[in-house]
Amino acid sequence: MQKENDILNSLSKKFPEIDISEAAVSVRKIYLSVPEEAFMNALKFLSAEFGFKNLCTVTGLDAGDGYEFIYHISDDEGVLMNLKFKTAGGDGVTIKSVLPIYQGATFYERELEGLLGVKVEGLPEGRQYPLPDNWPEGQYPMRKN
Amino acid sequence: MQIINKVMAWARRKSPWIIHFNSGACNACDIEVLASLTPRYDIERFGIQLKGSPRHADVLICSGPVTMQQRDRIITIYEQMTEPKFVVAVGTCACSAGVFEGCYCVEGGIDTAIPVDMYVPGCPARPEAIIDGVVKLLNTIK
Amino acid sequence: MSKMIVPLGPQHPALEEPESFTLMLEGERVAAATVALGYNHRGMEKAAESRTYVQNIYLLERICGICSHSHSTCYVQTVEALAGAEVPKRAQYIRALIGELERIHSHLLWLGIAGHEIGFMTLFMYAWKDREIVMDILEMLTGNRINYGMNMLGGVRRDITPEQGQKVLEALDALEERTEYYKNVILQEQTVAIRTLGVGRLSREDGLRLGATGPVLRAAGVVKDIRKDDPTEVYNELDFKVATDEHADVYGRTVVRVTELMESYHMIRQILRQIPDGPLSVKVPNRIPAGEAAARYEAPRGEDFHYTRSNGTDKPERVKVRAPTLANLAAITHMIDGGFLADVPIVIAAIDPCFSCTDRMVRVKDASSGRDDVWNWDKLRQYSIEWHKKRGQDLGYRI
Repeated sequence: MQKENDILNSLSKKFPEIDISEAAVSVRKIYLSVPEEAFMNALKFLSAEFGFKNLCTVTGLDAGDGYEFIYHISDDEGVLMNLKFKTAGGDGVTIKSVLPIYQGATFYERELEGLLGVKVEGLPEGRQYPLPDNWPEGQYPMRKN
Repeated sequence: MQIINKVMAWARRKSPWIIHFNSGACNACDIEVLASLTPRYDIERFGIQLKGSPRHADVLICSGPVTMQQRDRIITIYEQMTEPKFVVAVGTCACSAGVFEGCYCVEGGIDTAIPVDMYVPGCPARPEAIIDGVVKLLNTIK
Repeated sequence: MSKMIVPLGPQHPALEEPESFTLMLEGERVAAATVALGYNHRGMEKAAESRTYVQNIYLLERICGICSHSHSTCYVQTVEALAGAEVPKRAQYIRALIGELERIHSHLLWLGIAGHEIGFMTLFMYAWKDREIVMDILEMLTGNRINYGMNMLGGVRRDITPEQGQKVLEALDALEERTEYYKNVILQEQTVAIRTLGVGRLSREDGLRLGATGPVLRAAGVVKDIRKDDPTEVYNELDFKVATDEHADVYGRTVVRVTELMESYHMIRQILRQIPDGPLSVKVPNRIPAGEAAARYEAPRGEDFHYTRSNGTDKPERVKVRAPTLANLAAITHMIDGGFLADVPIVIAAIDPCFSCTDRMVRVKDASSGRDDVWNWDKLRQYSIEWHKKRGQDLGYRI
């Protein structure tokens, strides 16, 4: 698990605000929480320096006291990085789009908008996904309330 | 007139044209419907042909539960078919929503949207069961 | 030249991601394509939260009827990681065996559909006839033709006997001979080459940039296969090559899939030779300790991704699924752009979006005259075949 630990160490060296002591590491899998402010830069860093060029998907979940977003990214050697950050809950949450880094992210981010009701800044206009056309406005199935 | 009706019923019984529509299934029943067309099962020996347009079809074969998005579409297709028309619900989900019972986008079995004449259960329904269902339906046409 | 807008779909409700395309045409060429999804959205991720871990195996198996074993395997792997369960070797071998048999049935199915879309009905009927051999094997081993229900938390539900292993080997001989024949058909038959060479191109760079996966990416020369990169189960104990091709078009995707068939036969022979004796499962508690786990699995269509978060109860807190077709859809609009309308069916079919030959309505609208025509998929397919027949031998691509 040399490579996994190397990635974590360089991350914490570059971004002192990231606490890697909470990270869960297993063979070819890393689960790491980062502060929201550091997230985009950490993602750019991982993509540019460590070759995490593929976005598997984005999970959005309602953790009760806020929303949690998990970006699952992978490299060519089979390492899967699960980078998480938390935001406040309720209506009016805005997160930034990762489209500048991962161009295949459109449907994953549209799904966050549809199912969790968060606004993704920088996502082009388009038909909602995946809910039906006659779905009642303002209802988001993945919220816990 | 009676003779014409008899001839028409005979023709309908001997060569029904079917159309297949998936209203939200997992695809398993769909490939079994397709498999019944291929050499092993060869549904065409009963004169049954798969058609692309609902306007040509006598029998609508539906698979899967009805999702909110597909509900209007399945009704449109049903209305486009000419009388007399028959509906076969293929698979457990089409009969009763099956494992998808209670999902927020699932309205229920096919019979929540359109009237159903024949239910073929199974997950997925085997090609033999689908052929059996269609043939039993044909026997009811007098 | 008048521009036409062609909405294609949504009566293509093939799997969990039926799509509807809007194609803007300039003459015969597609100038722009957009895609809309969600017609078969059933809300399974939410439903999974109100079902127990055991019930979810059978729910998630029904995400897709063609790669059902891939989804259930991927899901049980996440739960086993959470519970810290060590799956016995024999069970891992049986999972890999079913997984490879599923790949064979899926690729043969695809070969038939591809033949159907390019008007090569003989190939369709041949491939589906041979597919029945592997369906019989799957039924013998698992009890069902599709949706096998083989996986349980901590192992598999059924054992395989030596006699069954012998029958599988006999079936493989027959399948291998047939696949050799299909390989020759694809490499030598001009009909196939004319309709597929240079069609639906997706370069290596574009494929990686747009996040394509599976045979679509491997046909562009990228060596990427979860079975090699992130081997779960026993794939690191099997000797196999990742099938790739340099054509980066529909032809390349066909070659990759046929080569993968040969590799799968090779792997199944190794599995049956190497499979150890031992128990079939370990006990996994009903309540799973809190935590999170992600798993990836190389489904026939590409990388399948599952993520499960547990909260210490017998029901998961969140289950997230990303099926391979969704990853490939960003690339498909790119592949259609600039191509001929007549090639759209085979290009869409070439990503293998669990196509079922259902009717898909196509409304052709001529923007200049306001003429409005309703086409179905059959008519588009017919149009496509006729169009190519007229130009037939003059496409410029020859072997």
